[in-house]
Amino acid sequence: MRRTRTLGAIAATAALTLTVSGCGFGGSDSGDESGKTTLDFLVPTYSDVTKGLWEDVIEGFEAENEDISVNLEVQSWDNLEKVVSTKIQAGEAPDIYNGGPFAGFASDDLLYKAEDVTSPETFQDFDEGFLDNETLEGTAYAVPLIASTRALFVNNELLDEAGVKEAPKDWDELLDASKKVSELGDGVAGYGMPLGSEEAQAEAAIWLWGAGGTFGDEKEITIDTPENLEGAKQIKKMIDEGATQDDPGSSQRTPLLDIFVQGKIGMQVGLPPTVGQIKDSNPDLDYSVVPIPTKDGSPMTLGVGDQLMAFQNDGDKAEAITKFFDYFYTAENYLPWVEAEGFLPVTKSGSEELADNEDLKPFLDLMPDAQFYPSTNSKWSATDGAFKSTFGELESKPADEVLGSIQDQVDEG
Amino acid sequence: MSLSSKPSSSGSAPKSPGSKQRSSGSGRRTTWRDTLKALPWLAPALVLIVGVVFFPAGLMLFNSTRDLAISGLDKGSVGFDNYATVFGFSQFWPIIGRTVIWVVAVVGLTVVISLGLAQVLNKAFPGRQLVRLAVIIPWAASVVMTTMVFYYGLEPYFGVVNKFFVDLGLIDNPAGYGWTKNPTTAFLWSIVIAIFVSLPFTTYTLLAGLATIPRETIEAARMDAAGPVRTYFAVILPQLRGALSVAVLINIINVFNSLPILKVMTGSIPGYGADTIMTMIFKYIELQRKVDVASALSVIAFAIVIIIVIVYVRVVKPLKEV
Repeated sequence: MRRTRTLGAIAATAALTLTVSGCGFGGSDSGDESGKTTLDFLVPTYSDVTKGLWEDVIEGFEAENEDISVNLEVQSWDNLEKVVSTKIQAGEAPDIYNGGPFAGFASDDLLYKAEDVTSPETFQDFDEGFLDNETLEGTAYAVPLIASTRALFVNNELLDEAGVKEAPKDWDELLDASKKVSELGDGVAGYGMPLGSEEAQAEAAIWLWGAGGTFGDEKEITIDTPENLEGAKQIKKMIDEGATQDDPGSSQRTPLLDIFVQGKIGMQVGLPPTVGQIKDSNPDLDYSVVPIPTKDGSPMTLGVGDQLMAFQNDGDKAEAITKFFDYFYTAENYLPWVEAEGFLPVTKSGSEELADNEDLKPFLDLMPDAQFYPSTNSKWSATDGAFKSTFGELESKPADEVLGSIQDQVDEG
Repeated sequence: MSLSSKPSSSGSAPKSPGSKQRSSGSGRRTTWRDTLKALPWLAPALVLIVGVVFFPAGLMLFNSTRDLAISGLDKGSVGFDNYATVFGFSQFWPIIGRTVIWVVAVVGLTVVISLGLAQVLNKAFPGRQLVRLAVIIPWAASVVMTTMVFYYGLEPYFGVVNKFFVDLGLIDNPAGYGWTKNPTTAFLWSIVIAIFVSLPFTTYTLLAGLATIPRETIEAARMDAAGPVRTYFAVILPQLRGALSVAVLINIINVFNSLPILKVMTGSIPGYGADTIMTMIFKYIELQRKVDVASALSVIAFAIVIIIVIVYVRVVKPLKEV
């Protein structure tokens, strides 16, 4: 009888334990009923309006192409990559996927080449810089969707109060201005530095690349380099001299940006949608958008592009996918989408049309100086994760140790 | 997985095989033929158990020996390499140590506080129903929601808890202190929240135990001139043993496997200074995208819980009646 009890207890334990680890089978059939081609389309939410925007696009597309139906699935960014890898594991990859890094999928031979799923006109309309970013060993495996560049948001009122006349252009000026703003007291911080797990790699790029460093290229990831070390040391200097908010190592970007919007932070790096956020929640904020300060003041910004990619599934859906891409990237369908989301367009025709949009201008101007993550490197995901879990340790550990640890994690792979 | 919702559904599971045995065991011995006859009635339950318990467990074991690419493709077997990665990680033993502190602190304090609460709620006093209801509320609320309330309260700049401390003059910095931004304070607050959400279940289990104690035993103790303290420790507590040991066992399993509280409270902290096994599994999946290594650590965690449960069941014999 004792044995039965032990077994019973084990069974109960198993039931309790496994609910945490056993998740992850699912998916739906995407068969072709009645000769219709169905495209499964998996997208993340950029904002509250994302789902509605895609629904509008799909409605218009289906009206023009009655033999194709598009099956939209919306996921949060947090879940997106888990959902897609689960789907692939179960043989249910979406036909079109709006996501981040694509190199892993491309090197596993899961994707269509971009040229096979777009017409030549559409393909040639993409900005070359962004298209380069979708290229692995000379072949584009994804098409760019939207882009963002970053710029420094400056609270003019706080800088005036602190006696800083001009927005800083290089690191010395930034350090000086931030310290002055911090000294205002009353919980005001000079520079908002989010090194928490949410997007540590972005703040890292902004500083590490500011002294001429890079994260590497499609063949090699280089984090522990003298140039990057210089940037990391500057971050430490900012923290040690009290130029930032408290606990930068574990501050998340989104909540910290909220605090900037509330007017409690002197300067912080933001994106195009930040402009819209300020308009919505604190229109009285007196701010300006200026280029990001670098070591010697030379222009540099972090560019991030998201992309659409097409998975090769059973049955030839290339033609239907081509139709969808061609429809979506025409200016009258694409631009409203980009503008509503507050990002930058990636097509040549689109950039021309939006050139005189005042909110986007500072960001569009920075476009030529944008540098990108080496997201075509198959180790980029590991690098990204290592930055998220480790980079914030700069607050308490020496800079060379932190960079070395990230490099080790990447090399282990 | 939630700390508070599970016990209700599975709390009775360890009991049922035992009680079934007792009722049928007194008569004749059950044979294989009887079992076979019973099969059609057992089948739905068996299918469910295999599908919900054994299949995921098997899959987890299987995954822990595979090399799974980031895209989700299975690239073949790697033997025990994933386990080597887990044990080779420099933070592995500190994480195990923290997991022990987490379980012992949360379960220990929860039980001590619950014993007191149950005693109070067992007395008749005006408004007892209301107080009993109030104790249940943390159980009824979602753990993530409860934790988020604490989390935002502890945020610098706008958290009410920080505001309170600043207004009292206990914190100099007008922005407040980053409670959830430093590993030690974030971990300690997580323990506080875990105790808070574990109290209802534990208190009610103990309350049920108190209700089964015959009044005569307490009266007898009083007749023999035992003081309240002596009565409690010599008469009431021994009779609570059944309820107490079940409450402890289920709390150990739940607290060990608890992810949401630590995930919310310590998720933004760089490095591994506030991680337990569960949050480490999560980090392997979420940040490093190593589902295979995460599976290996899950298997290890599973083995640890099983060992704890076996030792506990053997030593304490929680299901044996007094």
